[in-house]
Amino acid sequence: MTAAISTASLTKFYGEHRGILDVDLEINQGEVFGLLGPNGAGKTTCIRVFLDFIRPTSGTATVLGLDSRSDSVEIRKKVGYLPGDFVTYEKLTAHELLEYFANLRGGNLNKARLLAERFDLDLSRKIGELSRGNRQKVGLVQAFMSDPELLILDEPTTGLDPLLQQEFHKLVLEEVKDGKTLFISSHVLSEVEIICDRVGIIREGSMITVEEISALRERALTRVKIEFADSVVPADFEAVEGVADVSVTDHTLTCHVIGSVNSLIKAAAKHTVNRIESAQPGLEEVFLAYYSDDQGKGDSDAA
Amino acid sequence: MLRNVFLKTLRDAKKSILYYTIGSAALGLYVTLFYPTIRDATGFADFLEQLPEAMQAIIGDAETYTTAEGFLNAEVFTFMGPMVFGIFAIIAGMAAIAGEEESHTLDQLLANPISRTSVLLQKAGALMIGLLMLSIGLLIGLISGSKIAGFDLAITGTILGIISLYMLGVTFGLIALAVGASTGRKGLAGGIAAAVGVVGFLLDTFLSVVDALDPARFISVFYYFNNNDVIINGINAVHFLTLVGIAALAVAIAVWRFERRDLAN
Repeated sequence: MTAAISTASLTKFYGEHRGILDVDLEINQGEVFGLLGPNGAGKTTCIRVFLDFIRPTSGTATVLGLDSRSDSVEIRKKVGYLPGDFVTYEKLTAHELLEYFANLRGGNLNKARLLAERFDLDLSRKIGELSRGNRQKVGLVQAFMSDPELLILDEPTTGLDPLLQQEFHKLVLEEVKDGKTLFISSHVLSEVEIICDRVGIIREGSMITVEEISALRERALTRVKIEFADSVVPADFEAVEGVADVSVTDHTLTCHVIGSVNSLIKAAAKHTVNRIESAQPGLEEVFLAYYSDDQGKGDSDAA
Repeated sequence: MLRNVFLKTLRDAKKSILYYTIGSAALGLYVTLFYPTIRDATGFADFLEQLPEAMQAIIGDAETYTTAEGFLNAEVFTFMGPMVFGIFAIIAGMAAIAGEEESHTLDQLLANPISRTSVLLQKAGALMIGLLMLSIGLLIGLISGSKIAGFDLAITGTILGIISLYMLGVTFGLIALAVGASTGRKGLAGGIAAAVGVVGFLLDTFLSVVDALDPARFISVFYYFNNNDVIINGINAVHFLTLVGIAALAVAIAVWRFERRDLAN
């Protein structure tokens, strides 16, 4: 089976400015892939290359087996796209816009009508009069309405309220059941955690890692707080495998653990332990773990 | 009207096309209704005769000014016509690609399966249809005005004059479109196209009165538009085809640059 998206040393510079650098990605058909990174990391640059809005400085990208440069029109037939901030013709009503895009795609509005109903979207209003959230709904509808094989969604739930975000997640799951592939960029880590199978983490234009969600969790940074019966010193724990950011106040140790907490527990057991608290690792912590690798120490408290 | 980019562009411009078409018709009416006053004014030709050549170049040629075609040549096909057609065309050319890009609608349009070249050509086509409407408006205004004022107008010459004016408008519009498509900058597109028009007009007027510089008039688009006084003498094929060539070159450059550059976000 051809990959849904495949890039080889994909690099984009805007003049002197770095967009992305040597990105190698392989996204399988039928998976939900999350591209995770802070603003300015290069997520949108990747997406705009896939859609041929911008051209790579070097390297190549293929989408559904087609070259992003020479077969772009063919690609766009099979791809639905939603940007983070859906901006379009403000003077058209939502219905007129969807009709226009459906005509350009040679499709109809059957699915669009169902989606609009589902997202409680009034199609008779002018786009320019819609709130940001409602405009984003129009964007969602136009991206999904042509039943594309691949959906490329750049920060899709920006501006949607939590209830609609849930509805969106349900929609994503249904599409995946239908065999669709989704490429979702986000800096909302909890969102990616819920809907994605695999995640790529991008930072300053470079892909730091691509992993299964479950594998990422294994690298999760856990915050641990242990209260001892008698006083302890930091030196007892600083050398323990996976332990970082050790601080001791009186009888209490607080630290971060990357991955398994086994070694820390063994080390703690040499003392009398009164209480253990640990925070469930979220992807925020995972993310920071990857970041703190090259950023040196001390940044992991940011979350 | 939402079937494709061409029709959608015309739909967006329908008010502008309507107003400029009415304006063109009004210009035709106004000038033709005014003509009998000049024709019947005794001594007007003598008055023009006494003016320096430079003034005649601006107001109108003394030998022909009191004939209907000469009057229209001076009043419609020298300044007012090119101005109305030029402004309409340049605004449409600016809006075509650069306008969409600056208002951030181009990305979403091009997320649909349609090539950049196709978008550009459909928009150029819509611009040309818009100008055709202005031309028809002007023709209707001129013919009805001449009927109301009760004088005979050489229809063939008038139509040829309008065709030449149409081609001048197309040239301005496509230059604006080409600069916009090449750079994504609407202001620059309008600025350059307007400069080609304004500088072209001033140069043509200026160079025509300085005998020594007359051979240099070929650098102005206005020379190709109406040096032949089309309404009186008909179209000079070489001049007309030069305008067609400039317009075609503008489209070719636009396609070439637009296909190769990055779109602004």
